Amino acid sequence: MAISSVDKYARQRSLEILRKKFASIAKRILEGKKPVLIMPKRVLSNTIYDMKKKLLLLGPEMKRRSLLDVNEARKFMQTLLMASIIYEALVNDEYPTIRDLYYRGKHTISYRDISGKMHHENTWDEQRESDAVIRDIEVFLGVLREEMLILSKEKGKVVGNLIIKSGDDVIDLSKMGHGAYAIEPTPDLIEFKDIDAEFVLVVEKDAVFQQLHRYGFWKKYKAILITSAGQPDRATRRFVRRLSEELKLPIYILTDADPYGWYIYSVFKIGSITLSYESERLATPDAKFIGVSMTDIFGEEEAAKNINKLTSIFGKEIKDAISKPRKKAYLSEKERRNYIIKAKKKDVERAVELVGYDVADKLISNPEIKKYIRQKKLGVSGYPWFRTPEWIKEISIFFSKLAKLEIEAMASKGLKFLADTYIPTKIETGDWID
Amino acid sequence: MGVMSAVAPAERYRAISPAEFFYKYREIAGFSNPARALYQAVREFVENALDATDSHGILPNIKIIIEKADENREFYRVTVEDNGIGLPPHVVPEAFGRVLFSSKYILRQTRGMFGLGAKVAILYGQMTTGRPVEVITSQPNLRRIYYFKLRIDINKNEPIIIERGSWRKNRDWHGTIVSMTLEGDWSRAKQRIKDYILRTAVVTPYANIVFMTPDGEIYYYERVIDKLPRPPKEVKPHPYGVDLELMKRIRDSGSFSTVKEMLMKSFQGIGSVTALSLLEIAGISPDLSPKSLNDRQLLELVNAMKNYKRFRAPTSEALSPLGEEVIKAGLKRIYEPEFVEAVTRKPSAYQGHPFIVEVGIAFGGKVPLSNDKYPTLLRYANKIPLLYDEGSDVSTAVVKEDISWDQYLVKLPAPIIVLVHICSTKVPFKGVGKESIADVKEIRNEIKLAIQEVARRLRVYLSKKIKEEEKKKRVVSLAKYVPEIVRALTIILGDGQGGKAKLLEEKLVEIVSLRTGLPKDEVYKVVRSVEIGV
Repeated sequence: MAISSVDKYARQRSLEILRKKFASIAKRILEGKKPVLIMPKRVLSNTIYDMKKKLLLLGPEMKRRSLLDVNEARKFMQTLLMASIIYEALVNDEYPTIRDLYYRGKHTISYRDISGKMHHENTWDEQRESDAVIRDIEVFLGVLREEMLILSKEKGKVVGNLIIKSGDDVIDLSKMGHGAYAIEPTPDLIEFKDIDAEFVLVVEKDAVFQQLHRYGFWKKYKAILITSAGQPDRATRRFVRRLSEELKLPIYILTDADPYGWYIYSVFKIGSITLSYESERLATPDAKFIGVSMTDIFGEEEAAKNINKLTSIFGKEIKDAISKPRKKAYLSEKERRNYIIKAKKKDVERAVELVGYDVADKLISNPEIKKYIRQKKLGVSGYPWFRTPEWIKEISIFFSKLAKLEIEAMASKGLKFLADTYIPTKIETGDWID
Repeated sequence: MGVMSAVAPAERYRAISPAEFFYKYREIAGFSNPARALYQAVREFVENALDATDSHGILPNIKIIIEKADENREFYRVTVEDNGIGLPPHVVPEAFGRVLFSSKYILRQTRGMFGLGAKVAILYGQMTTGRPVEVITSQPNLRRIYYFKLRIDINKNEPIIIERGSWRKNRDWHGTIVSMTLEGDWSRAKQRIKDYILRTAVVTPYANIVFMTPDGEIYYYERVIDKLPRPPKEVKPHPYGVDLELMKRIRDSGSFSTVKEMLMKSFQGIGSVTALSLLEIAGISPDLSPKSLNDRQLLELVNAMKNYKRFRAPTSEALSPLGEEVIKAGLKRIYEPEFVEAVTRKPSAYQGHPFIVEVGIAFGGKVPLSNDKYPTLLRYANKIPLLYDEGSDVSTAVVKEDISWDQYLVKLPAPIIVLVHICSTKVPFKGVGKESIADVKEIRNEIKLAIQEVARRLRVYLSKKIKEEEKKKRVVSLAKYVPEIVRALTIILGDGQGGKAKLLEEKLVEIVSLRTGLPKDEVYKVVRSVEIGV
């Protein structure tokens, strides 16, 4: 197997950092000092929204993971165990997946308590646990898992007029037939050879991606078509970021009209809370939310109805943004009746999390839901990047209508409508949220 | 007809001898059936043996032998040997052969009451088996050992000496060996008898006790301390506890010339001044001869004494508490507990009777698990174990109702024993069975205070223990990861540093030990127990 020089370099660098960091732990121990791992805290409270860069970044708070703290001892052990497995994989020129690492490290520790009773404990039980430890090691070392050549399942797909070099192969992404190119876990090793496209359309739903692909959407509109198939993985986010940064292509994100869709967009654009340490590399600040927006479904006059309820929170600024309805709905009254879905309690909860309880409380009229969120979410202040006039306009309709819509519904109105009317119109008229 | 009716009452009220009376009403003394009789006989002789030793400052050596005495019938021979003060030879026939003869008509704390029980046992044995009682005895100052074979003439209430003899002592022996045969039921009595002897052993750590059963088992409780409880002193009765019968007996003794002298010499706490004011209240002239007093006048006097407010509290010199040391040693000897503490309360009194409450608590070790409502209770009255009627005893009420055990960190069921000893010149027993003590306010309160005092010490111990255990648990939760951490670090440090594994482990153990305060070898023990699976 020929190993590319890119790989070799990455390995060497990761190994050195890993060895140096853990050697200092060993040194502390040999000096009789408390064994502690000091690393940035990966929690919501230490996630900072950088208004200027429009990115979610890891804050300055550090946590001390000590072996001598009963609540941290297990994690301390897990961190060292994981580090040793990653170290061995690096040394042996392996490319483990996160699932491999889970299995390699999973074993039983048997011990006797003071009364002599035998106990058995797994180093970790679920992959969720070992995945979290990998993230801890990333922040502890300041080295990303891709740089340690750890792979994950491929999830994102791409087609379009783009020629790339992956490994030693040159691949034309316009010649994938009905299939698509699976975005590899180490997108930094991809080389862009040639491009003939004007924008990138990222679709949340794989099914809609396939429909647009077969319809020939990307050929007709000179687009790179991508799907994240739900929550985007790191590779897809990095790939999109590179298209934006290196090829200067505008990025449009198309998701369901519901709180999950909105969050997917925000992950692409500004980063996620669990991986905020990666935002600088993964987020695409120029990504635009193209739809499906609530105003596309209900029209802007629907949002204007809510305006008076919100001025007490946001003042005049919000009035200017949404008081003048310009846009008419893409759906007729009858189509709305057929396509929209009633929002579930969980959807509402999620939306409250995004925009804040105060907004939800002002807008929701359904007494049962109102009572429910009052019990559950009182005090939730919302994410600052969703408390902008554009998003408040969107989410206010969600709260007053308690309705959501999937992209498939737009396709049901006619694939032609989606591909030739809806998306092009939105792009041409600049009808998006940035 | 008139003559007949005059004669009839005389026949109906024919006098019977005390021996006959007790034989007829033997249930009162606890001889209602063969099982109960065997148990009761052992009790009576063991208690006499202990009274003959520890009350006289002698460290007891007691041997109890029960053996089958007939191949076909359920006859058992009970032999109890002690190293006590022995009996003067001339009183032996009376002591064993006439009911109501006893040395115990004095006011001090003793185990048996008037030595009655032993004679009822002998009577019972005689009636069921026809076999005589054998007694061997000698006193410390005597040069000979005396032997008697006796039976009781029930009708005349007289001893019949079948055989007697004596021989020179060629070693310095004193004590008494009593041997009698009775119809019993060993299989039904054995648990009771074993319990009785075990519980006796708990409060007599200063005694060697050997017990041999008909099943060929030998129980040996070896002496663990040389300290005896303070022997009881004889004291005069306290005026509060007086009643008409006692007053009559004193009057009839004829040993006082005036009523005033009688009061001053027969009771504690009565001097000349008090005697005069009592007699004034009762309206009796101080110089009268006691013999001239009629029952009505005696009653006046009793009432005057009972209502008099200024007596000193009764003296407790007549009482013989076990003492904290004895209780602790006794509980240790039997249960090897991890915690044991005891308290002897100051003397107190109810209705003119002095009493002392003592409490011991043993926890852990070989202490059996209690039930889930209250700790296992060992009840004693005047050093005698009380085995039955636990439910109606005042101590049971206290441990169940007055003490909230979780407040003392005891989570029931728990390996906990509470020993309660009440000693008094008059223990307020409930009923004739003498197996439970009545709920007397003053006694209940003393028991409660005593248990609380010891339980507080138990709480201190348990809270320390809980903390210690938590600390150990904490250490285990850290130390169990040491081998995995050492392994991981050794891998990362690379082959060249592989030799550091041992050093790393040593240092980690040291750090854990230092930070938790648990000794290094304890931490090592956990680390060494770890096996890492693959």
